[in-house]
Amino acid sequence: MQKKRLFASFAVTALVAGSLVATSSVATAATRSVTVWAPYTGGNLDLWNAAIKRVEADNPGLKITSVGNIDMAKSLAAINAGNGPDISVSNGNGNVGWFCGSGAWQKLNVLMAGKNGLNVKTTFNASANASAVSNNVRCALPLGSEVFAFYSNKDLLAKAGFTHPPKTTTELLEYSKKLTTFNSDGSIKTAGFLPWAGYYGFDMDAMWLGQMFGAKWYGGDQKAAFASDPKWAQAFNWQKNFIATVYGGGNFDTGSKLLTKFVAAKGGEWGTEHDFMTGRVAMKWDANWMGPMFCTGDDWAMADKCTAKYEFTISGFPVSPELVSKYAGSGVVGQAQMGISKGSKNVKDAWIVLKAIATDTKFASAWDSANGAPSSLLSKDARPAKYPAWYQPIYDVVEHPMSAYHIVKNTGEHQEEALVQNLMASWQAGDTPNIKSALADLANKVNQIIARNN
Amino acid sequence: MQITNVMASFSPRKRREGALAPARKKLKVPYVFIFLCMSPWIFGILFFTVYPMVTSFYQSFTKFNLIDKPEWVGLENFHRMFFEDSDFWLALKNTVWISAISIPLRIAFAMFTAWVLTKPKRGSSIYRTIFFLPSMVPTVAASMVFTYIFNPAYGPINRGLEAIGIKEPPFWFMDPKWSKWGLILLGLWGIGDTMIIYLAGLLDVPKSLYEAASLEGATPWQSFRYVTLPMMTPVIFFSFVTGVIGSFQYFTQAYVASGQVNDYSHSMYFYATHIYFTAFRAYEMGYASALAWVLLVITLICTLIILKTQKRWVHYPNGSLFK
Repeated sequence: MQKKRLFASFAVTALVAGSLVATSSVATAATRSVTVWAPYTGGNLDLWNAAIKRVEADNPGLKITSVGNIDMAKSLAAINAGNGPDISVSNGNGNVGWFCGSGAWQKLNVLMAGKNGLNVKTTFNASANASAVSNNVRCALPLGSEVFAFYSNKDLLAKAGFTHPPKTTTELLEYSKKLTTFNSDGSIKTAGFLPWAGYYGFDMDAMWLGQMFGAKWYGGDQKAAFASDPKWAQAFNWQKNFIATVYGGGNFDTGSKLLTKFVAAKGGEWGTEHDFMTGRVAMKWDANWMGPMFCTGDDWAMADKCTAKYEFTISGFPVSPELVSKYAGSGVVGQAQMGISKGSKNVKDAWIVLKAIATDTKFASAWDSANGAPSSLLSKDARPAKYPAWYQPIYDVVEHPMSAYHIVKNTGEHQEEALVQNLMASWQAGDTPNIKSALADLANKVNQIIARNN
Repeated sequence: MQITNVMASFSPRKRREGALAPARKKLKVPYVFIFLCMSPWIFGILFFTVYPMVTSFYQSFTKFNLIDKPEWVGLENFHRMFFEDSDFWLALKNTVWISAISIPLRIAFAMFTAWVLTKPKRGSSIYRTIFFLPSMVPTVAASMVFTYIFNPAYGPINRGLEAIGIKEPPFWFMDPKWSKWGLILLGLWGIGDTMIIYLAGLLDVPKSLYEAASLEGATPWQSFRYVTLPMMTPVIFFSFVTGVIGSFQYFTQAYVASGQVNDYSHSMYFYATHIYFTAFRAYEMGYASALAWVLLVITLICTLIILKTQKRWVHYPNGSLFK
């Protein structure tokens, strides 16, 4: 009888204890949840969600809620209101300085150095590591890249007797002179290359011009370097001379006017009417995603075979002659970035998710295939198993040690980019008489913005 | 039932028939019911107008970046606006320019168009519809179309100008000297809504006045100067006030047009654009709120000045509305 009682009390105790354990584990599971907001839709959201499912499968008990079609403005508003996601994704890194500087995204330095840490130097390429840091604070991990490189129409170049894309800015001028033709009324018929703000440039032409001359955006003192780095003035003066020599017969005003009209008549950006596809322009700086677009005429997915009217090739930007040894083959490389929101209640698990997605080679390669956007990962597994030969130079540009986005600061949304771009446009129109004082004004303005936001 | 009776007592048919209205029964509707009926509007204005206004007034004295809590900075935003922010003065200058040019032009053009439309004896409704239609085109679409037709390379305007011998027509939106004129022309094209008000005003001028003027030997110009114009001053006054308020909030057309071209010199950068960029590009909500409140004050002062001067030039047949 006593045994029975003992057994019964043991059974009851075990039952109660079991229930408690079950309840607590349920409770633990309930708290182990991470919410991720991303701007993706359609097929891209499917790829993204598949990656998230993999993270869930690798981390039993972790529930990840993925919400697509949310841009950073919505995420910011929610983070501000205190009901933001644990992780949010920004499509580009022009905002990273803002997210880091304002504290919208948390610092990752401690998490990266912790037990489940991450050695970013051996994981991501140089440009991705540089542009996820603002004021020595890393608050983001990179996703796929956006690569800005140099496109040349091989057929037109060959016709003019050139066997390879220009490597230096001097060659670029020579090539352009030969490739530019004029109509009988004096207007430009076909152009070699346009160092022109606002010619399909996504408002980034000034950044690309600066990269060609190795111009620095910020100095060691963290102040804007537009005035202190003489390469900016060198770049703008080269632009002016280029316009005068190639298009104005030595006269800058004539060249500027002709180019304004030429640019006004450019073909549509997304389709077969693009000037580069029609042969209206022979060389241009452009983004990686334009490669597939040029190949297919209407699609951003990586094309196996190019059906473009002209054969083209991709390379790094032509660079100032004195920089060839160091910069040749480089371009501008940016990334989509993701970070852990301020106010996240589950930072530990958010880091697990963040790290897992950022290092998921399967996701990276699928994304690259679908979007023509190479991964920021150094691992070759992050590339698609098969990709067309024309796409290889994009990887070369991404991996180049001098490829970079400009250093990001807390300036709001692409503020300094817009200011430099405006200066470039004003300069090319002949409305800025003194580039040195204009660059000094620009530096002051950017420094004021940074000082105000810090 | 009660409501039906009350409404019946106001029936115009009964009044025309000369029948006396039956003694009105007092409508007994509980205040709660009235409040419930009004509540959507009350809540709407409280939450979507009053609350944002109070909040933005508070924020105008703060530094607020959307992420951190607003930090009280006193009058710093206003000091920055007037003494440090060159874009503020540029935006204000552009806004004053577009107001000063577009408001008189719109008034003159609307009145002229309306006057022309009073002339046809047949098919006037068709002509009126044709002139009114552009004002129904969405502003964004109209602005995009205008950037196309004013394109210096292939736009029909420049093609036409070249055809008549103008060798170097303006680059319109691509030239800081001409871009605002492009916007003015866009505004004049969509004059239909203002034109309709002028048309109503013109048709409302008693014919007897013209007959009297004619008997006095007035020329057409004198008829216009001494009959039409004075009788139209209430309409002019109305469109003047609404024009000032509207032009200080000028945004969409300029935003679309400058997005289509390279407005590097900010020739199409208006006050509302400055607020937009400050708030949603630079994320300086505190400073943007301060800008918005200064805009309100400027608009208010301009409106009050117009209201104050109206006694001198606005002629109401039955006396002023604003005594």
